[in-house]
This record gives sequence, structure tokens and C-alpha cells, in this order.
Amino acid sequence: MRSIPLCALLVGLTLAGSVQAEDPRISVAMLQPPRSGLSPLSDDAFKLSRWSTAETLIRLNQDGEPQPFLATEWSRLDDHSWRFVVRPGVKFHDGTDLTSERVAAALTAATEAVPKPRILDGINMTVEVDGDAVIVRTQAVDPLVPNRLSSPQLAILAEKAYGENGVVTPTGAGTGPFVLTEINGVTSAHLDRFDDYWGERAKLSGIDADYVGDGTARGAALRTGTAHVVEAVPVSQAALVDPALIHEVPMPRTNTLYVNTNEGPLADPALRTAVREAIDRATIVRTVYEGRADEAHGLFGPALPWADPLRKPIDQVAAKAPEGTRITLGTYSDRAELPEVAVLVAHALTAAGFDVKQDVREYANIEADMLAGNFDLFILSRATVLDSGDPVSYMVSDFGCEGSFNISQLCDPAVDAALATAAGVEPGPARREAIIAAEAAILASGAAVPLLHERVIQGEAAGVSGADRDPRERTLITEHTTLAE
Amino acid sequence: MIRTLDRLTPTLSRGVTLLGVMVLIGLLPWISGRDPAMSILRARMGEQNPTPEALDAIREQLGLALGPIQHLKDWVAGLFQGDLGTSWISGTAVLPIMIEALSVSLVLMAAAFTVTVIVAVLLCWPTMRRGLKGRDTRTSGTLAASLTAMPEFMLSALSLVVFSVWLGWFPPYGWGGVAHVVLPAFALGLPGGGLLGRLVANAIAATFHERWIATWAVAGFSRYQIAWAVLRRSLPALMPQIGMIIVAMTGGAIAVELVFSIPGIGRAVLGAASSQDLPSLQAGILILLLAALTVGVVVNLIRVALLGRALGMGALPVPDLSKPAPDRRLWLVPCAVVLILLTLIALGLPRDPFTPQYMRLQPPSLALPLGADGLGRDVLARIAHGAVSTIGMALIVTLISLVIGLGMGLMPRLAIGLTEVTKATPPTIAALIVVAAMGPSAIGAVIAVSAVAWAPLAAHTAALVSEARAQPHVRIAPILGVSPLRLIPRSILPEVWGPVLRHAMLRLPGNALALAALGFLGLGSPPPSPDWGLILADALPYVERAPLAVVVPAASLALMSVLGVSLSSLSRR
Repeated sequence: MRSIPLCALLVGLTLAGSVQAEDPRISVAMLQPPRSGLSPLSDDAFKLSRWSTAETLIRLNQDGEPQPFLATEWSRLDDHSWRFVVRPGVKFHDGTDLTSERVAAALTAATEAVPKPRILDGINMTVEVDGDAVIVRTQAVDPLVPNRLSSPQLAILAEKAYGENGVVTPTGAGTGPFVLTEINGVTSAHLDRFDDYWGERAKLSGIDADYVGDGTARGAALRTGTAHVVEAVPVSQAALVDPALIHEVPMPRTNTLYVNTNEGPLADPALRTAVREAIDRATIVRTVYEGRADEAHGLFGPALPWADPLRKPIDQVAAKAPEGTRITLGTYSDRAELPEVAVLVAHALTAAGFDVKQDVREYANIEADMLAGNFDLFILSRATVLDSGDPVSYMVSDFGCEGSFNISQLCDPAVDAALATAAGVEPGPARREAIIAAEAAILASGAAVPLLHERVIQGEAAGVSGADRDPRERTLITEHTTLAE
Repeated sequence: MIRTLDRLTPTLSRGVTLLGVMVLIGLLPWISGRDPAMSILRARMGEQNPTPEALDAIREQLGLALGPIQHLKDWVAGLFQGDLGTSWISGTAVLPIMIEALSVSLVLMAAAFTVTVIVAVLLCWPTMRRGLKGRDTRTSGTLAASLTAMPEFMLSALSLVVFSVWLGWFPPYGWGGVAHVVLPAFALGLPGGGLLGRLVANAIAATFHERWIATWAVAGFSRYQIAWAVLRRSLPALMPQIGMIIVAMTGGAIAVELVFSIPGIGRAVLGAASSQDLPSLQAGILILLLAALTVGVVVNLIRVALLGRALGMGALPVPDLSKPAPDRRLWLVPCAVVLILLTLIALGLPRDPFTPQYMRLQPPSLALPLGADGLGRDVLARIAHGAVSTIGMALIVTLISLVIGLGMGLMPRLAIGLTEVTKATPPTIAALIVVAAMGPSAIGAVIAVSAVAWAPLAAHTAALVSEARAQPHVRIAPILGVSPLRLIPRSILPEVWGPVLRHAMLRLPGNALALAALGFLGLGSPPPSPDWGLILADALPYVERAPLAVVVPAASLALMSVLGVSLSSLSRR
């Protein structure tokens, strides 16, 4: 009987503890170390948003539609300009106020960065202050401006963050529920709760992030309890971890076999069809990914759930027997699964009658050859919606005649026309149909054989709840995340 | 005048080589054939499209249009003001970052070297005891050779799984506390300990053949005194090796740093090289080379101090040339190893190494003795088919480096700078230069690895040569009319040949792994060829689920090393 008051006392203590500064800190094992000192004008921007320290004017909901964030509302003034009203009462972590001047300055710094954030490619954006709002103008007619402003690379930071030579230091300069207090090079970063956050106060008292590049070590982080949340547990380790601790998230990322349509034997469309018909997606997904991936039906997978119902069958020219045609197959080793995929693809093509030579290097050492069209086939894992939540820019760069990432060397008037149509349509059902029509034109050309869609495996220790499982990898720990010890 | 020049030769040699390497590094972005603007873009943003606009903006910002000469001039001018420039990627000063990485690496090196010394002492213990008891000191060195063959990346992953995940003794990654140092130091120090232990054991064994041992024993010196004297006599020739092990643990610990997420200088330099961040690369390489040269000088001073007056007086003792009776038991080890390897190859050769015909990671059975790899290929078949190319290529590299090493070692004062600088140059950097010069190819890997693998052999040769020259019968030779050209083959080479050959063989598996490790540049055997290094690297992520696919290639590498060392031991004088 004496145990009941004791229990009540313990419960009482726990409750009291959770109200006071006794809230737990969460430990996170991140995939990549920072590329350039956590500057938001590089890929490190995604880390800042995953830790909820830097925020943008707009954020996207699950369907990729723009929602208010640091902007409370927005409107399109004309074809080239948009007006965004800045949220009042927001404080930066250094105590200064968020104003429309700060927003304009931060966005302008991004437009002047070298190189410019990829989300601003080809639109020439300028920003000016208009009372409690900013007016964003673009040179091109662009229906996607609000989507673009959701890119973590366009985060709004306090004045003190912007230094000389374009160096941006995000320490103590964001507006989010967590303050970045310490950047420890390529080892770790530490964040504390921000008590003056404009939204709901964070449940956790802080975040300790370590960068753990090695896949075995990340698996070990979860199995030993060294980290509470683990990014990207590799497939090879997933089977060793308690299934209750891992969560698969379909990503807007497609492993595609790019086919050189301009040079070499595969300039012949009939041989391209032979390549397409030789591929056995089920074996690749089962063997290399242990079933933790989705077979591709098109360029866009389950992360864009609207795509599949719109698709229609595609006509291609009849296949021709390869009769020992010599082809080269390239891929890169930075993603551990790709060399394994290449072995299976090469084996399937050999069985179909091709004579395949593989070339696998690190991405940095193969990209130039890849873009120059030096391979007949190339396997690439490609993000399809990048930052805006919209796939048109990916299709233009990869399959447009003038595209800057045109591995297939494709120059097909039908594809270019379909892409131009899709780019001009307002977001909504009509744009989605135009996108799928463009996808059909690309697949009909035989320039790409989509293999599969990856899933990212997120590890969460028992007791973690409310960690975001974001397919775009923009959010992870938020003000709602909790940790029960 | 000539004497002064002679005395300055080592300094000049070091300076000229340092200058040469720094100029070469400075030119790398321009001769590599890889657009630096593209590399920088990738380093900052992984998925950004390389539009001409973005690339031009980067070129202009970094002043790439000015060309390599102007850049080198600016760099040297900055150097004299203590400014090594700002990173092309992050825009921050590179020197503080590299110094911090170096301090991390020095801590790791100190811990790993402690492990190395402990392992080496344990390995030398039996030889010392047998020598003191007056027995034959020859040993096959099986254990030491096996340890030397263990690749650091495998030891790292294995120790992480065993000591961190299974036993929970140490954290799996991170840097900061004492607990973080233990596993990396173990993985880094163990192979070095094998190497050092074998080299010291060899040297001790040779010393026990010198006549003064018998004299001392008769004169009533205690075993403890003789043991101390034997060590003092044996270590000087190995001081350069100890220095090189220290240097290799500072800049060459990349694999260990990657697995345990340690922010060391090896990783920093590799990252700078692959993203073509020239200022960071220049600073990192300069620091590594200066550290290596410092270690080289210190080690040489210790060597001279240990040898004392005997070196200058030409009074170093000569080993007793009477051959001990051949010991048949020493044939046992190489015969057994050859038998095991041949059995493995004979069993595997009729099988298919390329077709993915089994289940992923299918467990071993009678029909599939070693199980299947991650793609369902027969592991036994792959090991057997890879044996010839792996052993053959490694042997070629080892012989090339042996020839270069002997050649360079015979002119120690001239080559000292080149030797020290080469040893401090990570093979990756050499490989980058090779790729820049001749593009990706299988032969490129042989060139790149040979280009750095000779340095330890040259240092060893040089140390032995200077001792050989200090022996009375060699000192007297010119007076007797023996020309220097005849002196080398008749008196010096026979002294040097045995130990250096055994040393080269000890490095055989290391060379095999180095060849496989350059695959990321497109050098070496392309997939799906079953090179042992590639098999090992492929199987490592699955070590807990299919351990045989890791254990058997690793054991094969160890056998290869044992075979080389035990065969070369038989040729002892």
C-alpha cells in the first residue's frame, strides 16, 4: 500500500520536471557533414531547416502546396510580381525584430550569392520593401514564386549572419523554435530551445546533432542508443535493427537509366527499346534494396501520388536483337546501392545479348564524362522535385534540348514542346496533366528507363514521437517533437 | 666548398622536393581535366544544375581565369605573411581549420602509436628470448605478417560492430572523450604494430649473429644488459620506419577517420582534393609535408645519437657470416599456405563468379561453401577467380617499388627529401595526379601505388646502407683499390638485400588493398572483376549477416602476406 503514494510522488515529480527546464535534449545522427560551414546558401540549408532553426516565408504542405510561414498571406500583383506580407511579432534569435527590410535584404543576399541557389536558376528575382510586406519580381513569367520561396536556401536570417565575401554564419540568427548555439566543424552542432519563438514553444530543450557519414556507424547509433533519431539508415543495416525503430519514407527520387540518344549504338531507337525490355526491376528492388524501394512505372514515384492515375500506356518502336553490341554502362559509388544496381543491369543486358563494360567511379570523378555523353548508359539517382515541389525544372534540365543536365543528349522537338507547355501552366490539375504528358513524351523517346524510387529509412529510438518523416528532407526535429526517457 | 655542399645536400633535397610537390599541387585544378568551377559547385550544392551562368560566376569569384602561375605567385606571397588563403568552398580562412584537424590527428596518432608499440613489443618478445638463450632466432613471422595484412577499414568496421554494438564498451562514433579514441587507435595501430614488430624481430635476429654477443656473454654481462644492447644496436636502422609509421598514422588515417567520424587532417585533405578546393588542399598538403619532414629530421637525429661514435669511426660490428644449419621446419609454413591457397583456388575456379544466381547473402551450404554476396554471387568463385589478378598485380607493384626503393636508398643523402615527402603524400593525391596525366585505366593504379610504395623501402635501404658503409671491411675497401661501382654489388647490396626484400613482402597485401582503394577514381580493376580488395569492401557492410564473405578474403590477404614473408625469410644469409 505504501507504493501508491510513492508512485503519485514520482508521477508528480515527472510532471513537474516536464514543465521546468528538465525537458530532454534529443541526439541526432545526421548523414552528411556540412559542406560549407552551415551556410544556408549551400546544401547545408537543409540541415538548418531539419533542426527548425532557420525559417522561410513559405512552407509546403504534404501535397507540395504553399502555406503561410514567415509570410502570413500573399497575392499575385501581375504576371511578374508578387506581394508577401511579413508576419508581425517575430524575433530573431539575437533579439532583433523580423521586418520587411530584413526579409528583402536576406532574399537579395541569396540572389547575389555565387553560385545562386538552384531554386533561382533562370528567373532573375528582385525584392523590394512595401510597408509591412515585400514585393518579389521575376523577369520570367513564373507561376511558382510562392513554392520557390519555400526553399530552405531562401531562409531569412538576422543581419549579423551576413558577413564579408558572401560568408553566412547562421549561429544565433534564425527565427525558429531552436537556436543554433555551437557549430563544431564537421563533427557536431548544438541547438537550444528559443523561448521567444513566435509559434508554439518547443517541447525539447535542445538538439545535439552529430555527423555520421559511415552507414555501419549510423546503424550502430540506433542499435546502441547513442542517437535518438538517425537519418538514412542504409539498407544493409536496416535488417539488423528492431523493425519498430525504423520508418521508410518514399522519396521524390528516381533511379533512372539514362540512355545516350545521340552517340553510339543506342542512337538507334530499336536498340533503346531492347535495353528497356531487358531490365528486370523486380529483381533489383528485391536483391539490392531488400524490398525497401518501389518499382518505377514512370519518372515520378509514390512521393507524387497524383502521377500514377494520370498515366496512359506508351508506344515505343519495336525492339531489335542486340547481337553482341558493345555498350558502356557508367554509375557512381557515392550511393552504396548504385554499383550493385549496375551489376544487375549489366547482367540483364548481357543476358539480352549486349556486350557491357562497366565504369564505376566516385561522382566527382565521373560527372564531367557523364555530362559529355561519354557513356551509352548511365545510372543516376536523381531528385525529381528539388525545392519547389514541382518536377518541371528537373525534366527541362535533364531532357530538354538545352538542358544543363542532359545526360541522354536528348534533343526531341516533341519533348521540348511538351515541356514548354507544362512550364507555363498554373499549379493545379491542369499542370499535373501537362507534366504527365511531358513524361510520356520523354519515355516514348527511350532516353530514360526509370528503374525504381528510393525510400529513405529514418531511425527513431523508442520514446521519440513527433519527429517529421519528410520525403523532401526539409524537416526532422520540430517544436512538436518529444522524447520520453 | 664541396664539403659544405655535401653537408647541405639533405636540406637541399628536402627543400627542392617540397617546392616541387607544392607547385604540382598548385597546378592540379588546371591539369586535372576536371573543371574546378564544376567541382566547387558540387561541393556547395549536390543537385544544382551546372548552368553556364552558375559556372561563370564561380570562375569570376575565385579568379580562376587568372591562371595557375598568378595563383601560385599570390599563394607564395600570402604564405610569407602567414596567410594560406580562404577556402574556395566556405569562404573562411583555411589555416585554422587545417591546424585544428592536425591537432585531432596528432592525438589519434599518439594513441595509435601506443598500440603499435605494445603490439610490436609482444611480437618481438619470442625472438629476443630465443636470442638470449643462444638459440636460432629465425621465425616465420606468421602472426606479424597476418596483422600487417589486416586493412584498417576492415578493422574499423569490425571493432565498431564488436566493441560498440555487441559489447557496448565504447561509443560508435564521435570525437571528444578518451572513450572515443580507443577503437580508432586499435584499428589504426594494429597493422602498424604487425609491421614494426616484424621489422624489429628481423633486426634483432640479425644482431644476435654479430660476434660481440658471444664476447659479452663470455665476459659475464647479464641477459638484461645484453638485451638492452641488442635493442640499441638494432633500432637505429629502423628509426626511419618508425618515423614513417608515425607520418602514415597522421595523414593516412582516412579510412579510420571516415568510419568513426573523426575530424582529422586525412579526411580534410581528401575532401579538399575531391572538391578541388585548392587553398585548403595546399594548406593541408603543406602541413602534412612539413610534419613529415620534421619527423624525418628528428628520427634521423635519434638514429645518429643511438649509433653514437661507431658510425663516424667506421666501427660498426659485422654479423657472423657462418650459415646456421637450414631448419626444415621453416619450410612448413610456406608449404601449408600454398596448399591452402591452391585448394581454395582449385575449389572455386570451376564455379561462376559473375552470375547473380543465388539469394542475396544466401548462407553457406555444401553446394555453396562460402555463401553468396549481396548480389547473390558465389563468394568462393569470386575469391578463386580474383586470386591470380590480385596476387599478380600486388606482386608487380611490390617488385617495382622494391627496385626503386633500393635504387633511391643507395643514394640516401640525395634522395632523402624525395623519400620523406613521398611517404607523406597520401596515395590518393598521387592517384589524382596520375588520373590527371593519363586518365582512368587499370595500369594507372599500378603506377600510382608504385609511385608512393617505394618510399619506406628506400628509407630502410638508406639506413642499412649507411650502417654497411660504417663497417670496417667496407671502410677499408677504397684504400684496397675497390672502386665504388664494384663496392655496391659486392659488399653493400648483399648486406641490404635480405631485410629489404622481407620488408617489401610484408607490404604486399597493403599494396593489393591500395590498388583496390583507387577504384573511386576509375583506376584499377573495374567492376564486376573479383579483386580481393573489392570483394572485401563490398562485403563489409554485411559483416554481421554474412561474415564469411569478409573473413575469407581477409584471411586470403593474410595468407598472401605470410607466404611472401616466410619465403623471403628462407633466403636469409
